[in-house]
Amino acid sequence: MDAPVPGGEDHVIEIDDLVNTVGSGVILHRDLQLKVRRDEVMSLVGGSGSGKTQLLRVILGLKRPAAGVVRVFGVSWQDPNAKKVRDARRRMGMLFQNGALYSALTVYENIAFPLRERGGMREEEIRAIVNAKLAQVELEPRHGKLLPANLSGGMVKRVSLARALALSPDLLILDEPTAGLDPDRSEGFVRLIKGLREDHRFAVVMVTHDLDTLFELTDRVAVLADQHIIACDTLATVRGLNHKFVQNFFGGDRGRRALEHG
Amino acid sequence: MPNPDAALEIQTLAHEQVPIRVRASGGWTFGGLKERRLDLARKLAQLATQPVERVSWDLTAVTELDDAGAVWLAHALRGTQRVEVSPRHREILNQVSQGMLVPIERERFDPLAGVVWTGEAAAHAAVHLRDAVILLGQLALDVAGIIRRPREFPLREFSAGIFRAGVTALPVTMLVGFLVGIVLTYLSALQLKRYGADLLVINIVGVGVVRELGPMLASIISAGRSGSAITAQLGVMRVTEEVEALSVMGISVTTRLVLPRVLALALALPLVTFCTDIAALAGAMLVSHFTLGITPGAFLQALPQAVEVVNFWIGIEKSCAFGFAVAFVACHYGLRVLPNTDSLAVGVTRSVVAAITCVIILDAVFAIMLRNVG
Repeated sequence: MDAPVPGGEDHVIEIDDLVNTVGSGVILHRDLQLKVRRDEVMSLVGGSGSGKTQLLRVILGLKRPAAGVVRVFGVSWQDPNAKKVRDARRRMGMLFQNGALYSALTVYENIAFPLRERGGMREEEIRAIVNAKLAQVELEPRHGKLLPANLSGGMVKRVSLARALALSPDLLILDEPTAGLDPDRSEGFVRLIKGLREDHRFAVVMVTHDLDTLFELTDRVAVLADQHIIACDTLATVRGLNHKFVQNFFGGDRGRRALEHG
Repeated sequence: MPNPDAALEIQTLAHEQVPIRVRASGGWTFGGLKERRLDLARKLAQLATQPVERVSWDLTAVTELDDAGAVWLAHALRGTQRVEVSPRHREILNQVSQGMLVPIERERFDPLAGVVWTGEAAAHAAVHLRDAVILLGQLALDVAGIIRRPREFPLREFSAGIFRAGVTALPVTMLVGFLVGIVLTYLSALQLKRYGADLLVINIVGVGVVRELGPMLASIISAGRSGSAITAQLGVMRVTEEVEALSVMGISVTTRLVLPRVLALALALPLVTFCTDIAALAGAMLVSHFTLGITPGAFLQALPQAVEVVNFWIGIEKSCAFGFAVAFVACHYGLRVLPNTDSLAVGVTRSVVAAITCVIILDAVFAIMLRNVG
């Protein structure tokens, strides 16, 4: 959908002065600011324990922040207008690290699930979309009959991606999209996401530790450290930042190799 | 600027070779179609009556196209040769068109389906039975192994099992026992009073509770409480591959997971039964006092004469067998759970039903075997 983001802003996610706590009030993020533009791939990087997953949970509305405002498509998850919140949620797709497919449902039913839940479509229309989604993630209609337990790790990711794309989202959130895949499959999966983005033009927010994926997909990178977003810019700019985590992350052997490869 | 909703313009040029020109515009998305669904459906139904060679389509004014919109357009375009579409919408339109062409596989009528179903059900039951026999045999081997190497006995799991299935089950089983004792005595008292056989209430309730109701109540509650918990726990361990991890480490799954649970429940259930008996008799004593005027002292004095001690031991031995059966069935179903949530739910339900059925069958067997005792 090409509808402008409510509020006239050109951002799919706006986070202002976020304070995020864990456990018994331990502050994880303080006065955090972040804005994700339409049509961009924003990667979140940070050391272990920096709270990347917690930040994703706040963005997804799975966790309420201690303070601050999080707006997705201009809508706060605390908005009392349930329809507005539901509509905003349906404009997001999420690829969970382990797929999070419904184990009792077949591949076909997993992808059809959000379409059926949204309603307003005949079964024949749903079938066409599910088959199209399977084709988009390079699977065949016969795979639709399989149960998640019968899928390889790579196929689980593809099916999960197909389900995330089922409602033609404007924002796709990827949590470690290539985790658990071998290098060849990782490369194929990144190529797939890249191709789908070119066709469908959705924004992406991605958490990854895989530098190859980062260099291949990212337009801007947000670095999470010291309870803040310490930098949010293009890879070239962020790499030049004089911060211990940034220098270790991008300047180490793996970072250099990924850079040469990229 | 908000995106305009989906729209269709149909133009008829009588003298042209392709006289009907259709121009789609606006946002052909799920949201865009929502408001105009009926109007568009009517126009598309009109078009469907025209031969495809008389229609040309112009989709270049479509500002946005998602899967839902593509399905509508692909359905309307079927077979049309003259279609102008912007390059960015071509791919999604092609993919959805291809998706619509995938044939639906329908199950064919099989006249022998009933026979096949019966055969499969019988084979499934045979596999169940075989697996249960294997598990029982493996347990016997484990017990033999533990006798030879007592240090390998998983004492911690065993004591945890006794605590969970025994101590924590006491409040609910004793409460149920107490209430059943009250109800049974009250109903018996109403009848016995009419014949002046008041004191017989102690015989009826005493034997009924100690020999039958106590063990049955304790084991049925135990099947619902501890049995389901055991199945769910082992089932989740199967789903998360913890059972496989034990095997890979060379640790016997039956010794570590099944044996302590089965032994714990076989030992804990007689103790729970004993407490249930006491609670039920307390309930009986209370009602006897208020409805029949039998004082607690008289009740306790008459009880040993009315109920032979052997009945008590039969009840305790039965509950030991019931405990073994409940835990064994629960473990059997828990280890058969497949890695999906549906299988877990089905496993737990079947485990409870099978355990209660087993208890009732065993009770019937005991009743026949011990009909001349007590």
